[in-house]
Amino acid sequence: MTGLSDTKVMIVDDEEIIVGAIQSFLEFDTEHSVLPFTSPDRALEALGEHTVHMIVADYMMPEMDGVTFLTRAREVQPQATRVLLTGYADKQNAIRAINEAGLYHYLEKPWDNEALKMIIRNGVERSALFLDLQARMAELAEANAELDDFRERLIHAFL
Amino acid sequence: MPTEEPEQALIDQAHLSTLATLVAGVAHELNTPLGAIRSNHDVIERALLKLQDILEDEVVTPDELQDVRKIVRAMDGVLRTNGIAVDRMRQIVESLGTFGRPDRAEVDRVDLREGLNGTLAVLNAELKKHSVVKDYQDIPDIECFPNRLNQVFMNLVHNAAQAMEPGGTLTVRTRTDADAVVIEVEDTGKGISPDHLAEIFKPGFTTKGQRMGMGLGLAISKQIIDHHGGSISANSTVGAGTTFRLSLPLTLPANTRDEGGSDASA
Repeated sequence: MTGLSDTKVMIVDDEEIIVGAIQSFLEFDTEHSVLPFTSPDRALEALGEHTVHMIVADYMMPEMDGVTFLTRAREVQPQATRVLLTGYADKQNAIRAINEAGLYHYLEKPWDNEALKMIIRNGVERSALFLDLQARMAELAEANAELDDFRERLIHAFL
Repeated sequence: MPTEEPEQALIDQAHLSTLATLVAGVAHELNTPLGAIRSNHDVIERALLKLQDILEDEVVTPDELQDVRKIVRAMDGVLRTNGIAVDRMRQIVESLGTFGRPDRAEVDRVDLREGLNGTLAVLNAELKKHSVVKDYQDIPDIECFPNRLNQVFMNLVHNAAQAMEPGGTLTVRTRTDADAVVIEVEDTGKGISPDHLAEIFKPGFTTKGQRMGMGLGLAISKQIIDHHGGSISANSTVGAGTTFRLSLPLTLPANTRDEGGSDASA
């Protein structure tokens, strides 16, 4: 299983101060490494290059709303646990969207750091398990392929 | 409760509706810097506890020195973010200042672009899902009741934001036309049907589903503009958008100026 120090948390909010505040907290109080973005488009590009465990995205962004972003992010990295940040006024819309997009959690602004830490810890663990399972399934598939290959050769040798 | 003329009660309701829009906008705008500062405050508390812990035995181990470096890095980020957040809050308060005290109705000579910018800043949360284009030509200062005109701007910008699906474009223009200053607020919203267009400046006109008092915004706006000796008109194409045009003279009509502090809309 992945150690907690190798875990990457992506933060996406068009507000630089929100990204900055969450980054300061996570870097100070946790071992996660943080990938900060103020543009959802850039963040999607980055998902092509880095495997992340956790994505925290704001709901109300001018380029692309958070639910659309997180839905696209899932296509690229299904293992990443996705959390939506919402302002009070968007809560109703956001909750509906969360249910439709199958998100892990939502966090209301202004958020509580202890709650954020807990959500991220659990989310990271969830995606680490997912990645671990994926790796084991790949191993299993490889072993199966080897077994098939071996059987083929056995059959060839004796028939 | 004193008995009020029905018309006055409707006008009060329109004022309250403008105020409600303003308050909702400001609350939303303050929430972002507040969230950042609140989180940073928590980081500072955690950092202080850590420092106290490190200093308790009067010895700093190499591991603890690493922690101190981490604290310094965190404080660097916290200070930077808080600086931006505080600045943002100051800007919000400043744009509220341009709205002035609603209980005072003073005549002043002002550049209307300031009031337009203040309105756009206060309604930023509503406008975030749209693009905003400021197409400002130079305009001279005009003699007016700035607080009341801000109420008109607020009403027009708020209506425009509400009329558009996310991704719309709001264009605000200023220019001079002979002895008048012209202001246009254009949206790419659903538009207003020709039957409705003739009715929108009448008190009480509203389309279904709008909040109480909302329908009075344009009637009050027209009253305020009339009081300034100006004119307000609207052009609209259903499905393409609406443009509101204000034309305001450079100086107030003599009778309006003499009224001074009396309520224009009463």
